[in-house]
Amino acid sequence: MHWKTRSRLTGWILGTVTVGFLLYQWLPIFVLGLLSFSGPTGGTTFPMNGVSLHWYRELWDASIMNDFKPPVLRSFLLALACSATTVVLSVTAAQAVRGQFRGHNLFFYLLLLGIMAPGILVGFGFALMMRLLGVDPSWDTTAYITHVSWTLPFGFLTMLAVFNRFDPKLEEAALTLGASRVTAFRRITLPIVLPGVIGAGLFGFSLSYDEYPRSLFTTGADLTLPLAVMAQLDRQLTPELYAIGTTTTLFSFLAIGVFTFAFWTLRRRVQPR
Amino acid sequence: MPEGPMIAQLDLELRGVRKRYGSFLAVDGVSLKVEKGQFVCLLGPSGCGKTTTLRCVAGLEEPDEGDILIGGRQVTGDPPWKRDIAMMFQDFALFPHMSVAKQVGFGLEMLKKPRAEIGKRVAEVLAAFEIAHLAERRPAQLSGGQKQRVALARAMITEPRILLLDEPIGALDYALREAVMLELKALQQRTGISFIWVTHDQNEAFSLGDHVVVMNHARIEQQGPPEDLLSRPRTAFVAGFIQGNNVLRGKAGAAEAGVLPVETADGRFHVPIIGAAPAPGSEVSFSVRAERIEEGENDLPNRIAARCTTVEYFGAFRRHVLSSGSGVTLKWDQFGALPPRLRAGTETTLGWRTEDSVLHA
Repeated sequence: MHWKTRSRLTGWILGTVTVGFLLYQWLPIFVLGLLSFSGPTGGTTFPMNGVSLHWYRELWDASIMNDFKPPVLRSFLLALACSATTVVLSVTAAQAVRGQFRGHNLFFYLLLLGIMAPGILVGFGFALMMRLLGVDPSWDTTAYITHVSWTLPFGFLTMLAVFNRFDPKLEEAALTLGASRVTAFRRITLPIVLPGVIGAGLFGFSLSYDEYPRSLFTTGADLTLPLAVMAQLDRQLTPELYAIGTTTTLFSFLAIGVFTFAFWTLRRRVQPR
Repeated sequence: MPEGPMIAQLDLELRGVRKRYGSFLAVDGVSLKVEKGQFVCLLGPSGCGKTTTLRCVAGLEEPDEGDILIGGRQVTGDPPWKRDIAMMFQDFALFPHMSVAKQVGFGLEMLKKPRAEIGKRVAEVLAAFEIAHLAERRPAQLSGGQKQRVALARAMITEPRILLLDEPIGALDYALREAVMLELKALQQRTGISFIWVTHDQNEAFSLGDHVVVMNHARIEQQGPPEDLLSRPRTAFVAGFIQGNNVLRGKAGAAEAGVLPVETADGRFHVPIIGAAPAPGSEVSFSVRAERIEEGENDLPNRIAARCTTVEYFGAFRRHVLSSGSGVTLKWDQFGALPPRLRAGTETTLGWRTEDSVLHA
């Protein structure tokens, strides 16, 4: 067999595996979305009993939405705060590592521990420590800090990759043209690495928004969305929950879409064509 | 030269500048004076410390020892933005997110000039560099030659005292280089701004520089006007680095009547002495320019048997590369369209006059 025929064959095999994987990844979400449109007598499994917007109407009117509104709001605010914090800390941390300070390798691995450490233990340990210190767990204090420990390494790695491709001569050129270090950062460095900064912010948002294990012990009485969903799953399972799931999934896609749009417009501004 | 009053005339002075990276000595005691409006070339192989020296002048590197004075003023601890310099980088370092007009005006913006004045100056400078039609373009949309002009315009707009150029034409197409060199030289003479030009290309250094500084292993080997370096290389390194020199090494004999006999593996040669004669028996080296060599039968006092290995054709001359009996590479340049006398493999004898050889320190 000619090697080109063989590589075409390999291409088909790999393509099939890839499509299979993508189906495996997305079908469950699609199934939930589909079942959320079942009729008023529909259950939580196939076959669907009729097609309607019944469960979305229920969601809108019934008490269950009132139960879910505050968690959605909390999760959204928490995700925004994590996003902003991740941006600031990951940019500054990556800048610091770029300067190759003494011990920057150790610092790198310590930051990455946030990815390696099991979330449920991080949350539990942090909650224990806070109890020792006499701090009550709450979504906007203890949960916020544990979430950042999770989102920061992703933002940090993103910024490291971006700075890796950044030419430090550009900063030096600005300095020799009379710009101070702060001005050079603001006028040259930041605009060029901005797409990466947005990527870091996106990580911060989406990783915090659906975080469960780190929230479990650190959130306290006022639940975030993933905790509220789990609690509801324990109580009763109706297609209403699927409607909630579909709505919030669409909502986070929307958020990601806004970020991505910003990313592309900025990218095009920096590198036309 | 009197020391005191001259200082005000100097655009730049380096006094014993030394820079270390860990255990690596990048610049080792470099001292240099640049007079007002002088064109200075720092020449040397890669890793010789020429770029680090330039970066010390710019303030991008902090020397471990020594002083740097710009216009007679100590700037050793000053950051780059407080020095009266501008710099051109080898790959131009244009800001990818700024239009040509915006980045040419960047220096004036940093000086907090009023908007209207910046706009007017930028228009003037873009016109002067014949890039007015590129004003709204971004660097990604420019050719190599256009980028070079933009980088130059960006550096020159604030009229700095000194322009530092790090291999400024190294990134250009070969065909463009000569034209750009001529233009830059004319620009330098017209503006009277001191240029410090770093290059590894001796043609650039010798055709542009009023003052050429040859560096090797972090030190200055020799500095002076180009004609001095060409006619009187002071060290074996300088002679070997400059194209067209034949370098021979041997043991000094007893000097007589201003002439030093040198005993080499290829026989005894005579070299005129500059200054004090080296002690008899010491290792010495000397050089002879390839165009001073005469080939074939003659009665010259210095003669060496050699075998031709290759013949290279340059524009105006033909270079014969030969190997002596002891394996030293020798070059003989023949000008004019004479019929070739040597082919690879031809055995012959090369000779030169004693006064055409130069003894190294």
